Amino acid sequence: MTQLDESQDSLSVPFTPGMADNPEDLATFPDEVARPLLPLADDASPSEQFAAQWRNASYNCYSSGHKFCREVCPVMQVTRNESWAPTAFHANVVAMEKGEMDIADVAADYVNCTQCGACELRCPNTLFTGDFYRFRTRTVDVVKAARAFAVEQGIHQPGWKTWNERTNERVHEPVLGETPVSQEHVRDWSAGLDLPIGGETVLFVDCEAAFYRTSVPRAVAQVLKLAGYEFGLMGEQWCCGGPAAEMGYVDQAQRFARHNLDNWRSTGTKRVLVLDPHDYISFTEDYPKYFGDEFDIEVVLVVELFAQLLREGKLTPSVPVERTITYHDPCRLNKRKGIWEEPREILRAIPGLTFHDVDRVTQWSYCSGGGGGLPVEKPELTAAISAGRVEKAAALEVDTLVSACPWSERPLGEAGEAHSIDVVDIHEMLAASLGIEVGGSRHGGAA
Amino acid sequence: MSTSSNGHRLGYRYAEQYTPPEPERVSDVAITTHEHVFEVDPRLMERWVLQQTFPNWDSLRIMNSRGDHLEWMHRHFANHVIPGSALLAEVDQEDHQE
Amino acid sequence: MTITADRLDEVVIALRTVLRDEQILTSKPDRYNRARVPAPFPVHRWAERLPDLAVLPTPTEEVAGVVRIANELRIPVVPRDGGTGLTDGAVPLRGGIVVDVKRMNQIKELDLENRTVTVGTGISMLKLNEVLGHHGLIYPDDPASYPCSLVGGRIGTSGWSLIGSRYGHTRDLVLSFDFVLPTGEVMHVGDGIGRKISKSSSGYQLKHLLMGHQGTLGIATEATLKLYPKPEAELSPFWAFDNYYDAYRCVGALARAGVATFAGAVLFDEHKVAYLRRDDEAYIPQPNDVRALVCAVLYGYEDEVRPAGKRLFRIAKEHRARYLGDEISEGDWAARHDRYATPLHGRTKTGQVVPMSWHCEDAAINYTHLPSVSKAWHDIVADLRRRTDVFDDWGMFTYTSADTGVDYLTEIDVGIWEQQLDDRAWEMWVKAKRDIAAVALAHNGSISACHGSCRDGEVDLVPQELGRGFDLMLDIKRTLDPNNIMNPGKYLLDRAYGGGTP
Repeated sequence: MTQLDESQDSLSVPFTPGMADNPEDLATFPDEVARPLLPLADDASPSEQFAAQWRNASYNCYSSGHKFCREVCPVMQVTRNESWAPTAFHANVVAMEKGEMDIADVAADYVNCTQCGACELRCPNTLFTGDFYRFRTRTVDVVKAARAFAVEQGIHQPGWKTWNERTNERVHEPVLGETPVSQEHVRDWSAGLDLPIGGETVLFVDCEAAFYRTSVPRAVAQVLKLAGYEFGLMGEQWCCGGPAAEMGYVDQAQRFARHNLDNWRSTGTKRVLVLDPHDYISFTEDYPKYFGDEFDIEVVLVVELFAQLLREGKLTPSVPVERTITYHDPCRLNKRKGIWEEPREILRAIPGLTFHDVDRVTQWSYCSGGGGGLPVEKPELTAAISAGRVEKAAALEVDTLVSACPWSERPLGEAGEAHSIDVVDIHEMLAASLGIEVGGSRHGGAA
Repeated sequence: MSTSSNGHRLGYRYAEQYTPPEPERVSDVAITTHEHVFEVDPRLMERWVLQQTFPNWDSLRIMNSRGDHLEWMHRHFANHVIPGSALLAEVDQEDHQE
Repeated sequence: MTITADRLDEVVIALRTVLRDEQILTSKPDRYNRARVPAPFPVHRWAERLPDLAVLPTPTEEVAGVVRIANELRIPVVPRDGGTGLTDGAVPLRGGIVVDVKRMNQIKELDLENRTVTVGTGISMLKLNEVLGHHGLIYPDDPASYPCSLVGGRIGTSGWSLIGSRYGHTRDLVLSFDFVLPTGEVMHVGDGIGRKISKSSSGYQLKHLLMGHQGTLGIATEATLKLYPKPEAELSPFWAFDNYYDAYRCVGALARAGVATFAGAVLFDEHKVAYLRRDDEAYIPQPNDVRALVCAVLYGYEDEVRPAGKRLFRIAKEHRARYLGDEISEGDWAARHDRYATPLHGRTKTGQVVPMSWHCEDAAINYTHLPSVSKAWHDIVADLRRRTDVFDDWGMFTYTSADTGVDYLTEIDVGIWEQQLDDRAWEMWVKAKRDIAAVALAHNGSISACHGSCRDGEVDLVPQELGRGFDLMLDIKRTLDPNNIMNPGKYLLDRAYGGGTP
């Protein structure tokens, strides 16, 4: 359409690069600046080698610098310290690539993350173009990798070091409660429920639920029995390894994962039911990375299964629960997996509830602070984040905050005391509405 | 196993997650895979930035979240949205009557 | 690092008289992560833009204490709010103390009767509006950085709002604020001395002077803002055209229509449409004869917006517009409140994806000059692309700035491949920026409608744009900041102290 005069060429008119009918001369301009990427120098420092792996992932953040992550990040909300903003975790990698910083300079900063995934999701590079390019912001992966790199370089955070040593000794996380954390006691929560071991479907119970909030697995097991759903307990369950992976103890995480996969194999297990969102991440993100095609275990989230059983009429809640509630979207379900409808389906099926819901997008900026090892190293930040979350619930004038994540329930429960807000697990609440006397402990008491 | 409310089969299975739908071309530079998901023609990401490993659930999570976010933004700025098509229909009808 | 370790110790010891230890940050990551803003950054020269330390004060008195100490010790102070500006206001050029106001994010008073809210300047508009929404109110300051920029930065840059044609821009929406001067004195500035006064004729109009200075005159710490009812209804039609000139004439007609609920209109040129075909799901499938776009947006009560919307639809129809449908119209508009570009929009000329930083070069241009400015700007960027794939043309938007359509925020979006930047490429870019600014001035425009004009390249032409006004800027700077401690090196203000670039 445009008549080209002599001074004009194919760059004088609009075009979409890569189109089949673009002028051929677009490929012929010599480039005065751009150069092929140089391979790493032989004498590159470990930090430079690390940065080379994460270069493009971090540049994708650094080069945009939008910082839309900042106001949704739970740590930023309570510290307002930009050194701990999700963008900083990427900028540090770029600084390492440029030789400006070393892992020793930044290792402690990477503590300040719950791996909730809000930053990644809210980032326009994910939300607007991540699916288009199959390339999204990977803050959680970068944080995990930086922590692992620090450990590899012998830089330990004292709380995490001890935690993982103890986990290694006991094969379960050293959650504090009256039940001793050890292999002999991992099934204590199920006392009196008469559950089989092994089988095609097993229920995996995370460390916090198995040893501290035992009311949760008891509720889950009894609801499943009521629905006539066949399942067993794991032959020899170890910690999923996820927390070790989150804190940078990669070898330990993989060793635990290997044990669990082998153990499932040994009991003929094809399907694992998961009640804890953190385990769900381990089994659907970490294990596939470790094992690739070998990972042929089906992973089913209990909240999704319960919603289905309700839909199918296999569960009919009939005991009214006279409470005014709001629901806390666990980060690993809502933000990291996009699972938010099923918990609401369950809550809407429970008679008696007055439900003041807060939409899932608003909740991208909500968190309990209980994830990513933060409560181990910086319990004061976890407490502040939980306090902020509970304040939002209090503004709705509810008496109960329902969660679907055992790891959130301890810090939220503690924060709830100041507002007389009870923190109840969704599985417990459904069980109550089905007339089940759940039993167990919500506060770490022995079963 | 039956399907959940959003139409997806319950449960995570590795093999399924890494088998995206057969792509269809929509332009010289873009394809579609999942319903409502456009993707770059992979030949454009072979030189400087390589694509990441993307399970199906992640593509769908992002696409659905984008819709939720945009809906949230509308509600953040106004109580409701007036569809332009309704106004255009009125304009067209008035013109037709003249 | 611009000061010695001994000197740094002296500064830290002095700061401890007004701040707690945890408010004083001196580590490498603390400093490196307060060096840049989203605009393309000469990353190979990152170390030249570091502060010596950063502080996180909370009340105004702490800010004043820090500035007083800095003034006594002759240490530069760089105010940092959201750090989302595009003209490097928050980038330290001479080291010193970054005063990061993010902890000043409290809502101090909500006055429902007078419709004002008083906030710490470290609050974001999005977070503020989440709270105001519960009261049926909105603070309608809506930049592309809406989810992350902060009220204080909006004051320091005198920001521009996407829906400013309806509600005004930051200068209209901020009624008054507390302000720490470069000497550490605290003053309150508004129309007159009022806190909640929207119009006063008492004295000089100082509020306007103390906005948009890019942190060179002081630090706003607490602000009182004007509130509106949260709109009942929104309408945001998008129309396609088969040529730029029809779209151009249409946007002019829409803006001149004088519709009271009109909040803005945007013209997308042919380069922008070609760019959107790279990766935008709304435009990839559009037929080839979609070559330019216009959108308009209206906010108000439903019984206002509907007839006004019909009026605009009729105007569009007269200009051969094709309505793009409800889904695109609504989806694309909702995405404009956080419309920062993403790096993978970047392409080499042959189409390979490269990660690029986004630079939005903006000017204020009268309606009648838009086509020739657009042409000249694209030519400048085409020249860059002839030389290297480090630069990419992401097309142009022009947005109405006011309700009459007199002038437009005119922007060209340029992708810059930071990973490949070196001194030569940076020089090419700085020259291009200077040329882009010169085009704006040659068309009787202003170098910047919204970002400010203090980056390398464009800043050279600021004295030319302002004339005698620039000398007055120097006089004011020298008077308020006798020791040149407040964000030194910006806006050629070193000239106020007899120097060029020290």
